[in-house]
Amino acid sequence: MSPREIAILVLSAGGVFFAVVAAIGLIRLPDIYTRTHSVSKSETFGAVLALAAVALTFGNDLSTLKTVLLLVFMFITNPTAAHAIVRAAADQGIEPWTTEDEES
Amino acid sequence: MVALTGLRLLVPVSESVTLRNTVAYAIRQALERTSETGGPAAIHFVYPVSERPTFDSEMEETETARTLLDRVTVWAEEDIGENADEMTIETAVVGTREYLFSPGDYADVLVRYARNHDLGVAVFDPGFSPLGTTPLLPPLEAEVQQAGLEVEEAAVKRERQSPPLVRRATVAQFLTLFGVSYVFYLLLAGSAATYELVTGAISASVVAVALWRVSLTSPVRPVRTVKQLGRFALYVLYLLWEIAKGNLHIAYVVLHPELPIDPKVVEFDAAVWSAISVTTFANSITLIPGTLTVDVSQRRFTVHALTRDTHEDLLAGGLERAVRFVFYGRAAMEIPSPRERTNDGDENA
Repeated sequence: MSPREIAILVLSAGGVFFAVVAAIGLIRLPDIYTRTHSVSKSETFGAVLALAAVALTFGNDLSTLKTVLLLVFMFITNPTAAHAIVRAAADQGIEPWTTEDEES
Repeated sequence: MVALTGLRLLVPVSESVTLRNTVAYAIRQALERTSETGGPAAIHFVYPVSERPTFDSEMEETETARTLLDRVTVWAEEDIGENADEMTIETAVVGTREYLFSPGDYADVLVRYARNHDLGVAVFDPGFSPLGTTPLLPPLEAEVQQAGLEVEEAAVKRERQSPPLVRRATVAQFLTLFGVSYVFYLLLAGSAATYELVTGAISASVVAVALWRVSLTSPVRPVRTVKQLGRFALYVLYLLWEIAKGNLHIAYVVLHPELPIDPKVVEFDAAVWSAISVTTFANSITLIPGTLTVDVSQRRFTVHALTRDTHEDLLAGGLERAVRFVFYGRAAMEIPSPRERTNDGDENA
């Protein structure tokens, strides 16, 4: 296997790993705020790693550039969407879960 | 109750061509209602300040607001004439502590003012457009009405449909927009064949002609832009590193059998000023795993932090410093971190 193939493998594996982490986080975490953390961030990172693997696969091609552009847009839009969700939750007056809730 | 509040009008004002007539209309309405019911009337003219109060523009916009309100008062007194004892005029600048952006924000501020002063009717100037670019009035009227106020649009003629979307622009802005569109088109096309060059030039011209007065709001300053872009590239590297680090941390937390989270909502005033740097900072906070921007009001950030570590990192101010570096250069990095600034000692609570 060439170094490039190894890099592609590592990146895709990383992408899958973080996507799985996002899914597990979605189930395990207690409330909307913490869940948004898991879904927006781990998920973005997973998708970005996967896209990076795609870019590497294309190699010296125009599609690489387009993949990179896609990546950039994900970086811009994902936090915006996460922020919109959380802000809507805050506007609805949903109280964030804290460690005290668990103890009481 | 209705009769009482019906005599108390709220008139939001901003610079507009129909403002003079709106003032006259509001006064006329109030006088009519007074003669019907006999009670004394009150008109409150309020100016919602939209701008984020950075250091210089705060002075500027509030200053504009005051001059405008003074002018409105003079007009109103002129219209009232001899009925002065039946009518009280008040003016106010509202929304100085918030960053008004959407119609909802405006409605909130106006409705709050109306409640505080027991005003029942809102009279809108059809030319009321403090944002300048987006049509604000219809949704704003709907929101105010929903909040329980009686809404009326002043029946005045528009002397001229003012084109707020279009601003004066320079040739440099036109060329910049043309160039950027052209390069983007060629990038997507992926070749420099004659066909692509020609269609690209046509498309870029269409974009530039249609949007050159709309899309670029500030003058083109190539040197500064290039410097900022260079610093931004460094910032992206830093951000990527932080994201990778943070993601591993979150993965550890999520997969840990005991789920060692300690969510906390932190509020702090960030030392970033312009709209774009605040946006960058807020989005970066959200991008970095473990912190999530819940709300930004002027410079006050409400951030939800997932674990104690991420919360500590945020207040240590590394990210904030990096954002300042991008937009204001190296000198601005010296400003102390949020922790040092607030120093309220409740971090260990």
